[in-house]
Amino acid sequence: MKTFQYGLKQGIKSIWQNRLFSLAAIGTIAICLFLLGLFYAIISNFEHMVYNAESSVGVTVFFDAGISQEQIDQIGREIRAYKTVDKVTYVSAEEAWKKFQKEMNAEGGELEDTFGEENPLKDSASYEVYLTDVSNQENIVRAIQDIDGVRKVNSSNTVADGLSSFNALIAYISATIILLLILVSVFLISSAVAAGIRVRKDEISIMQYIGATETFVKMPFIIEGIFIGMIGAVVPLVVFWFVYEKLIDFILTHFSALSQWLTFVGASEEFRVLIPMSLLVGVGIGFAGSAMSVRKHLVR
Amino acid sequence: MSKQETLIRLQDVTVRYSKGTEALREVSLSVEKGEFVFVVGCSGSGKSTFIKTLLGEVPVSSGNIIVSQKRLDKLKRKELPYYRRTLGVVFQEFRLLEDRNVYENVALAQRVIGVENERMKRNVSIMLEMVGLAQKSKAYPKELSGGEQQRVAIARAMVNRPGILLADEPTGNLDPENSWEIMGLLDEMNKLGTTVVVVTHNNEIVNRMQKRVITLNNGNLIKDEAQGGYVQ
Repeated sequence: MKTFQYGLKQGIKSIWQNRLFSLAAIGTIAICLFLLGLFYAIISNFEHMVYNAESSVGVTVFFDAGISQEQIDQIGREIRAYKTVDKVTYVSAEEAWKKFQKEMNAEGGELEDTFGEENPLKDSASYEVYLTDVSNQENIVRAIQDIDGVRKVNSSNTVADGLSSFNALIAYISATIILLLILVSVFLISSAVAAGIRVRKDEISIMQYIGATETFVKMPFIIEGIFIGMIGAVVPLVVFWFVYEKLIDFILTHFSALSQWLTFVGASEEFRVLIPMSLLVGVGIGFAGSAMSVRKHLVR
Repeated sequence: MSKQETLIRLQDVTVRYSKGTEALREVSLSVEKGEFVFVVGCSGSGKSTFIKTLLGEVPVSSGNIIVSQKRLDKLKRKELPYYRRTLGVVFQEFRLLEDRNVYENVALAQRVIGVENERMKRNVSIMLEMVGLAQKSKAYPKELSGGEQQRVAIARAMVNRPGILLADEPTGNLDPENSWEIMGLLDEMNKLGTTVVVVTHNNEIVNRMQKRVITLNNGNLIKDEAQGGYVQ
């Protein structure tokens, strides 16, 4: 405990003594974690939008002609049994015809005159199947096609595949950029700590002569690194805290034409992940950087 | 008459540096508890290597060293700090921390071994009283004379009550008057029971103090006299 107290005091003192190096390291970590937060916000919001879009991308299942209602119900049960199936809605032949009529009448059609009371879509009862993850659509479609009594399955792979690939692309690009920035941050913290070690070279040597354990000697530098990492994590979090909702408001106001697609994750939900993630990454970068430096420069 | 206890024993110790230079050559000697020993020799004789070897800073190439019943060549890296706590060390250039006052410089030795604050305050005060610097506990090294700075260094070396005090050219940076003060202080520590080993090339001090003198030349132990002198 006394070693920790001493380490804490000396670590903070060292940050102040090497304030230029510390500031550079804090700045880089702050930028790194700001981008991490930004990419996370983009990815999580995009996923949110994709999820919403996915829920509207349905698969339509048609049945063989003359199939009984009992068989249709059985098919429904089999479809619902798949884990990736989110929702299954039954559309009867009557509902399908009414929907069609409504759409056509809106454009001035004369369907009622032509067909009268007859339902030309009497074999078009269907299930509309919504999935939790559109990337799995192809497998589900294949499985449903194999169910007895299923005549045809309509799906739109283009939309599903497109959405999934775009999401994955953003995730890969951001992961690469974040990884590079993390490496730069680790290097900068390592340099800041190395500067601290150089400044306190005499002190370290004296401490070693008078019997200081390795932990006692290393502790201030490890704490210094962790502190730099933590400060570097808090700065972008504070910025996000003030900017996030304002930015969403700005986007929704200025891109109102896209408001049907633009659905955002709420700030509290976003920060529930962002705060621990940023602090963990910041502390991790700080620890890794200082440990690297201590290992390199404090060998007896 | 009480039986003597050997605190330092070197048996055929050779220290060879990576370039092949032999800094110590098959040196054998022993120092009993409570002795005051001068180690003398000209530049390059192996005096500094002798101190560094005792501090566990330089490993022996052959032979063995036993200090306070510990074989240094068997010492694990983790054990080195604990071994060093049994020694006090004083350097020619004082090696005080410029950004800390006298009290903090001495207290550092106590902090390193985890002494509680209250006990630390008491121990440091007693030690500063012993070296005559109680009134200057808040002064910074730059505000002190060379002699005073070396007294702070001695206080730091002795505050943990080590059994052995190693001094590497402790008067090297001091004028004659301060040199005698420092030697007087080391003699006092010795009289209180500490075994003192002083490496020096100051023949005036060695000749006047009439203590045991070990002479090294070119890494060889060439003379070991119970009450010797030193001619450069």
